[in-house]
Amino acid sequence: MPTSTYLSNPGVQVNSISLTDQCTSATVTNTAEALESTAFGGTSRVYVAGLFNQEITMDLYMSYAASETYATLAALVGTTTTVKVSNTVAGLTAPSPTEPCFTLTGCYLEALPVINATMGELSTISITFKGGVLTTAVA
Amino acid sequence: MKYTIVSDKVGTVGAEFVPGAGTNIEALLLHGFIKSDEVPSDSPAPKSAKNKAQRKKD
Repeated sequence: MPTSTYLSNPGVQVNSISLTDQCTSATVTNTAEALESTAFGGTSRVYVAGLFNQEITMDLYMSYAASETYATLAALVGTTTTVKVSNTVAGLTAPSPTEPCFTLTGCYLEALPVINATMGELSTISITFKGGVLTTAVA
Repeated sequence: MKYTIVSDKVGTVGAEFVPGAGTNIEALLLHGFIKSDEVPSDSPAPKSAKNKAQRKKD
């Protein structure tokens, strides 16, 4: 089957705090930077892997209530933390091959939009955690 | 040092919080998600060193 459909299943945890009920989108990207190694005599570009450079981006509803989005993220700007994302909430604590848990340890939050106000709309923010070490747990 | 969960966003309220690798404890404490079980010391704060008494001027 070629597709995965996400309805209410995925789980998101930032610095051990569940933000599943505020999150509408999460993307975990595992990148191995491409270093060009093409040399004379070659007819096509050739690359080798450089440093890994991980990233997690997520869209969240902004809430200033206690224990919600702002309280979770405000103190993390300019620091490193751990972020977990799984395709199910259960996968965060009990990962399995069909519910892998992607954990980015030591990732850096560079920026936090502290307010994003538009008339007649629920406030949302997009944040990106950069760097760190990505591990995938399947058991 | 032990920590106790205060917010259900972190886990079961009242349970011990065991920080995983990379967890930013200061952020959790700052916004009241967890609390530290460290008991403040009963011993009084150390007094500052006394300066030599100044000579009274006549």
